[in-house]
Amino acid sequence: MTDDSQRNFRSVYYEKVGFRGVEEKKSLEILLKDDRLGILPPHHESHAKVMMYRKDQYSDVLHALKVIRFVSDATPQVEVYLRMYQLESGKLPRSPSFPLEPEDEVFLAIAKAMEEMVEDCVDCYWIIRCFVNQLNTKYRDFLPQLPKAFEQYLNLEDSRLLSHLKTCSAVSKLPYDLWFKRCFAGCLPESSLQRVWDKVVSGSCKILVFVAVEILLTFKIKVMALNSAEKITKFLENIPQDSSDAIVSKAIDLWHKHCGTPVHSA
Amino acid sequence: MAQQANVGELLSMLDSPMLGVRDDVTAVFKENLSSDRGPMLVNTLVDYYLETNSQPVLHILTTLQEPHDKHLLDKINEYVGKAATRLSILSLLGHVIRLQPSWKHKLSQAPLLPSLLKCLKMDTDVVVLTTGVLVLITMLPMIPQSGKQHLLDFFDIFGRLSSWCLKKPGHVAEVYLVHLHASVYALFHRLYGMYPCNFVSFLRSHYSMKENLETFEEVVKPMMEHVRIHPELVTGSKDHELDPRRWKRLETHDVVIECAKISLDPTEASYEDGYSVSHQISARFPHRSADVTASPYVDTQNSYGSATSTPSSTSRLTLLNTPGQLPQTLSSPSTRLITEPPQAILWSPSMVCGMTTPPTSPGNVPPDLSHPYSKVFGTTGGKGTPLGTPATSPPPAPLCHTDDYVHISLPQATATPPRKEERTDSARPCLHRQHHLPNDRGLEEPLGSKGSVTLSDLPGFLGDLASEEDSIEKDKEEAAISKELSEITTAEAEHVVPRGGFDSPFYRDSLPGSQRKTHSAASSAQGASMNPEPLHSSLDKLGPDTPKQAFTPIDLPCGSADESPAGDRARQTSLETSILTPSPCKIPPQRGMGFGSGQPPPYDHLFEVALPKTAYHFVSKKTEELLKKAKGSTEEDFLPSTSPMEVLDRLIQQGADAHSKELNKLSLPSKSVDWTHFGGSPPSDEIRTLRDQLLLLHNQLLYERFKRQQHALRNRRLLRKVIKAAALEEHNAAMKDQLKLQEKDIQMWKVSLQKEQARYSQLQEQRDTVVTQLHSQIRQLQHDREEFYNQSQELQTKLEDCRNMIAELRIELKKANNKVCHTELQLSQVSQKLSNSESVQQQMEFLNRQLLVLGEVNELYLEQLQNKHSDTTKEVEMMKAAYRKELEKNRSHVLQQNQRLDTSQKRILELESHLAKKDHLLLEQKKYLEDVKLQARGQLQAAESRYEAQKRITQVFELEILDLYGRLEKDGLLKKLEEEKTEAAEAAEERLDCCDDGCSDSVVGHNEEASGHNGETKAPRPGSTWGSSGSRGGGGSSSSSELSTPEKPPNQRAGPFSSRWETAMGEPSGSIPTTVGSLPSSKSFLGMKARELFRNKSESQCDEDGLTISSLSETLKTELGKDLGVEAKTPLNLDGPHPSPPTPDSVGQLRIMDYNETHHEHS
Repeated sequence: MTDDSQRNFRSVYYEKVGFRGVEEKKSLEILLKDDRLGILPPHHESHAKVMMYRKDQYSDVLHALKVIRFVSDATPQVEVYLRMYQLESGKLPRSPSFPLEPEDEVFLAIAKAMEEMVEDCVDCYWIIRCFVNQLNTKYRDFLPQLPKAFEQYLNLEDSRLLSHLKTCSAVSKLPYDLWFKRCFAGCLPESSLQRVWDKVVSGSCKILVFVAVEILLTFKIKVMALNSAEKITKFLENIPQDSSDAIVSKAIDLWHKHCGTPVHSA
Repeated sequence: MAQQANVGELLSMLDSPMLGVRDDVTAVFKENLSSDRGPMLVNTLVDYYLETNSQPVLHILTTLQEPHDKHLLDKINEYVGKAATRLSILSLLGHVIRLQPSWKHKLSQAPLLPSLLKCLKMDTDVVVLTTGVLVLITMLPMIPQSGKQHLLDFFDIFGRLSSWCLKKPGHVAEVYLVHLHASVYALFHRLYGMYPCNFVSFLRSHYSMKENLETFEEVVKPMMEHVRIHPELVTGSKDHELDPRRWKRLETHDVVIECAKISLDPTEASYEDGYSVSHQISARFPHRSADVTASPYVDTQNSYGSATSTPSSTSRLTLLNTPGQLPQTLSSPSTRLITEPPQAILWSPSMVCGMTTPPTSPGNVPPDLSHPYSKVFGTTGGKGTPLGTPATSPPPAPLCHTDDYVHISLPQATATPPRKEERTDSARPCLHRQHHLPNDRGLEEPLGSKGSVTLSDLPGFLGDLASEEDSIEKDKEEAAISKELSEITTAEAEHVVPRGGFDSPFYRDSLPGSQRKTHSAASSAQGASMNPEPLHSSLDKLGPDTPKQAFTPIDLPCGSADESPAGDRARQTSLETSILTPSPCKIPPQRGMGFGSGQPPPYDHLFEVALPKTAYHFVSKKTEELLKKAKGSTEEDFLPSTSPMEVLDRLIQQGADAHSKELNKLSLPSKSVDWTHFGGSPPSDEIRTLRDQLLLLHNQLLYERFKRQQHALRNRRLLRKVIKAAALEEHNAAMKDQLKLQEKDIQMWKVSLQKEQARYSQLQEQRDTVVTQLHSQIRQLQHDREEFYNQSQELQTKLEDCRNMIAELRIELKKANNKVCHTELQLSQVSQKLSNSESVQQQMEFLNRQLLVLGEVNELYLEQLQNKHSDTTKEVEMMKAAYRKELEKNRSHVLQQNQRLDTSQKRILELESHLAKKDHLLLEQKKYLEDVKLQARGQLQAAESRYEAQKRITQVFELEILDLYGRLEKDGLLKKLEEEKTEAAEAAEERLDCCDDGCSDSVVGHNEEASGHNGETKAPRPGSTWGSSGSRGGGGSSSSSELSTPEKPPNQRAGPFSSRWETAMGEPSGSIPTTVGSLPSSKSFLGMKARELFRNKSESQCDEDGLTISSLSETLKTELGKDLGVEAKTPLNLDGPHPSPPTPDSVGQLRIMDYNETHHEHS
């Protein structure tokens, strides 16, 4: 993916025919190599040991939570993940009955989506943990800028739609939290979400903007028909799931179009 | 009023018989007109003219200048509206217009024009109509651009009048109709010439109506046969015709000529500029008349006659060789043919005009190749008119025109069948044509062969002509030039001469006499009878010629052209009389021929249709009577002419004849009887008719005169061009001469230049030789000079040498002198030495003797020595052998050394490669190490994260525990159960609360506390305590060993305390609790190492802090153990700065002092 020489020489042909996944496989390989999430070290030798550590850690934390009776066997897995994460980050509330913070909600949404993708709970916990960590550390500065970028690209793609949104004063009320903080968790089905998150994990949070733009473009007619910001927001929060795959594909195209190859984009 | 009266008087004076008075009055009027701008005077003049018909007034009116034109036109317009004055005012208008006043262009805008047109459309008086139409025709070329507005009016008028010609509204006299017909014909020509497209479309629309069809057949169609197809019909359009730009560059006479060009009627037509093939014949006429050479006909006849003429025709020719025509033809050729025979062949319009240099090819082409028509017409028309009328040839054209009218009847007179028979003589035209053939040949013959050419002569003739053609061609150029000149001269000559006399047909009338009148009458009838149809029918039967001839209304000109010789004759009246005598005997054969060719008279009925019958009857009645009396022979001839003009001409002539005869018959007192007087006796109607006719004739005449003037104008212009061209040619010739002269000059100059060049080159050579000679001399002299110079040089060097030698010799002399002195000195010395040497000699002798003795002794010893020499050689050999052996030994040793060197070098190489390998290995090891490091780091990170997690877990646990404790306490159960322990529990609780508040580091502090007994205190001591009091050297190690033992807690305490003491001296300790957390935990080995490292860096500070903490905690512990009540105070001390510590410090201090002393004692 980095060079043309490294690219699969058939990829051009594949792209013509319409297969896009060929290149993604390679990007996954690259991802596997240097583990952007930082769960496993690059060395295979230490994988077993590190993995053992991770498991130990997981079981320790879980045990601790159980000991202090924060979680029980009846607690939903997602909440268990949340409590573990809270414990590890030192943010565990004094009581499980305390109301959840907004960031906890984000975590829950992501965890819920991730739970669908990953079977093993240890793996799942670690991926969620690192994913959220990445969002909170690496993308801390980027995420607030995404709404602006979203407006800019929407203007490029369809200025009329944007003007419509502006006239409805819906621009500020769009579900930015759902899109950019939760990374579409709960908005898109997991199969599509996986592809988006791949990009996010591998370093590009801009893909989120394009997915959002593409969602608007796809449901342009419906959005244009709606006149109040609330309705638009409501609709966008609950978009139909059937076309999500196409949306993601188009969004990736858009992303390629505007940001070049994924390697160059931050 | 006085002025009015004055004007009246003056007007009456105008008509006074006194010429002087008349001129004076005219001058007065003109002055008045120039000064007065009012309309009154003009009006008066017009009125007066209408009353009196006064000529001077007419003169004044016609010469009116610009400001008065409006008044005049207004006045005329006014009178045109009134029927009574219409005729006279129209004639006045005609007079005015014909003079082409400078304001003629205003006519188109004047209200007069519409009213004139209206009058022409409404009026029923033929005289007025004819006059009006003639005025209109005259006016049209002056205001061509006005056509736009009035075009339809013109056409309407034409339509109306043409139908008039046929329908003859009852009260109109037939005679008038002839005039009307003529004027309509002229109008037709004018309109067709000027606006062909519009006119044709008008004709098409107008005569497509059934009610007009008859008019068309009878009146318009014959007219159309007298015009060619107008080129504008092909190239132009309706709009283009009316375009003012088209007319802007055409003057009035141009327009007239333009109109005449399209006419085929010789009385109307103009044949300028070799207009087209069909005009060639007519074009020849002018040529003929101009230089009177008949050669084009000769040419065509040669080619044509031989080719086409059948035996029958030739026989006819001889038969037809009527005396009347031969003389005619011969009369003119006899005067000019001899002088310029060849030009005719090469005649071309351009040559006539002198516009271009005479082109040879066009001259040859027309008769033979390119113009089949010309051949046809040559035989048909051309032959018939060898002396064709110069109808349009530049200067004499107008004259000849008038001549035409005069002599129309002449040829007819020559061939004079009885009138009744003539009608049936349908073959007439062709006969006419053919009987000219011999005439043409006759033209070329010398004067001697004046007589008729017999049939037998024909072939020879033809041959002659053929041969003549060649010579003709050779002469053509010269001929062209001379012809031009002659044209100019004749033109001018003729211009002058005939003006006065020949202009008017009336004048001509008096000349030919009564004889002509009869002919004219006949011709009028015949001319009227002429229709193209009979011609065609007759021609059709003529054989090979016919298809081409079928084209020919041109026959008509032929016929009429026959009369043209009369024009020539007019100038040779003496000849004329004899020629003109008719010979009736010739006619029968002609007629016979006509019948022989089997021509039925199919046009009998057409006669009556074509001609106004009444006119014919009227005229014929009178003329017959007259002719019987006057000539005894009435001769009438059919000529194939239907031109209304000719009809009118003949009518005029007949009328004139009739008039004179009538007068004679009536035996009136005088021939110059007054009209009024004359009108008295005959029926007034007739008289009126006659008067009107006269008026009409006058109008016609004036119109023709106007045309003549236009032609004259044009002729003048053409003449000017000719003269210009001639002048240019002269100029060209002069230029050529000059050019030649200059060329000669140039030649001369060239020759002289060559001479000069030769001379110059010669001189150059001479000079060169001299120069070379001088150069060689110079060189020689220079050479000599150099030689001399060299010699002198040599001599000088020799001189120098000599001088040197002299100097040397002198020096030598001096030296020699010195030597002499010296030798003298030496001599004296030698003499002394000599004495000495003598003494020495004596000694020598003595010594020699001794030597001898010693020699003998030596010999003796030598003998002894030789005896001993043999033993030494063996020793030397032995030594040599030993030496060799030693050498070999050394060599082998060297070899050995070399081998060793090699091996060692190899060894070195091996070792180096080993080294490289090792380096590589090292690198790999390093990489591996890195790898391992990374791996370890990964693991470490994982472990750390696990540790972190663990930490969190423990924290949580602790929190949980504390929470539980809190709950327990709240329950109060604990208090009740164990009251003794309450204080301790509270303290613990408080402490934990502190941890909760601040940080978890207090836990670490506890840990340290726990492990502080063995490890923690061990490390700091050697550096800090003994380092600070470094003078104690070796005591340190012993003390450390002592300290490591846990049995000596006091020592432990003493160390920290002493250090603390020292630091307390140096710096204020205020931030103890904050620094506590930064210390790494002492639990792990790493932590200990790090501490050591840390201590090394900043020895005192951290250690001391750590120590203070530990010591403090220890003291606290001990105090806790001793007294719980005190414990409550210590946490406060930890938080707060240093208010409380002094008490334990002071105690510690004391202890330290003690221990330090004990230490000293120990060491």
